[in-house]
Amino acid sequence: MPKTVDSFRFINGITKRMIKNWISMEKPRPIPWTPLTRPLSECTVALLSSAGIALKTDTPFDQEGERKNPWWGDPSFRILPKTATQDDVRVYHMHIDPSYAEQDLNCLFPLQRLQEMEASGRIGRMSPRHYSIMGYILNPDELLRETVPALIRNLKEDLADVVVLVPA
Amino acid sequence: MCCWSVGLLQRELEAAGFSTITLTPVPDLTASVRVPRIAAIEYPLGRTLGRPCEAAEQTAVLEATLNALEIIRVPGEIIHLPFEWPEAPKEVHTSPPVDPPIARYLARNPWFLPRLLSRSVPG
Repeated sequence: MPKTVDSFRFINGITKRMIKNWISMEKPRPIPWTPLTRPLSECTVALLSSAGIALKTDTPFDQEGERKNPWWGDPSFRILPKTATQDDVRVYHMHIDPSYAEQDLNCLFPLQRLQEMEASGRIGRMSPRHYSIMGYILNPDELLRETVPALIRNLKEDLADVVVLVPA
Repeated sequence: MCCWSVGLLQRELEAAGFSTITLTPVPDLTASVRVPRIAAIEYPLGRTLGRPCEAAEQTAVLEATLNALEIIRVPGEIIHLPFEWPEAPKEVHTSPPVDPPIARYLARNPWFLPRLLSRSVPG
């Protein structure tokens, strides 16, 4: 029997109730579609994480704002170079256990694994820039209005074909 | 919740002309916002690719995700990855070191819990 992933094997309590309720609130709508028209070995690939990862030299995600208003989460994004490792970044998401990514960034943001795939020719090229948001967002208005257009602009500049998104 | 907000982003990026896939540990939630491609993985939150310093494991997950991107031909399709987390759920700890602000707020104001469950932000 092929495996069917159980979304709730490792989630319980209020988080599980919340997720089930959020699922019940969503309605069917058309799904956007951009077919993959070239082999991956010719594509430029970018990673996008929601772990709230930022370079130590960059502006932190706004944890203080969320502490003042717990219904708000910082909807901005950060740019990460393809060579970033756990030594170069901090993980600002306050709703996850950051210890895994702090030991090895690839647990949440597999830049090194993607570098290896670039070297082996599995993908054409790694995007020069990769991206993180902080995924605790209850009201997505600003994320959609400000962050999305800026991300799209950057990804186009990067000549990205493919984006692999990794929620935390 | 990351697996929801990332789904919203994925829709926008796909609509802008990028081929996208989300490697999600909560596929039911990501799929609910109607995203084009999902690779589902039964791993705990905070370690979507696997354990620290287990490069071969991480490579296998990323490779399976890219493979899913290549084989999905129908918008909304979910590929369930075969990986098993090596610990039982009761041995897995996913809590952050400090309770997040909303958890502390709801401990003081429990009557606001329905607002979180229904994502109706006060104010």
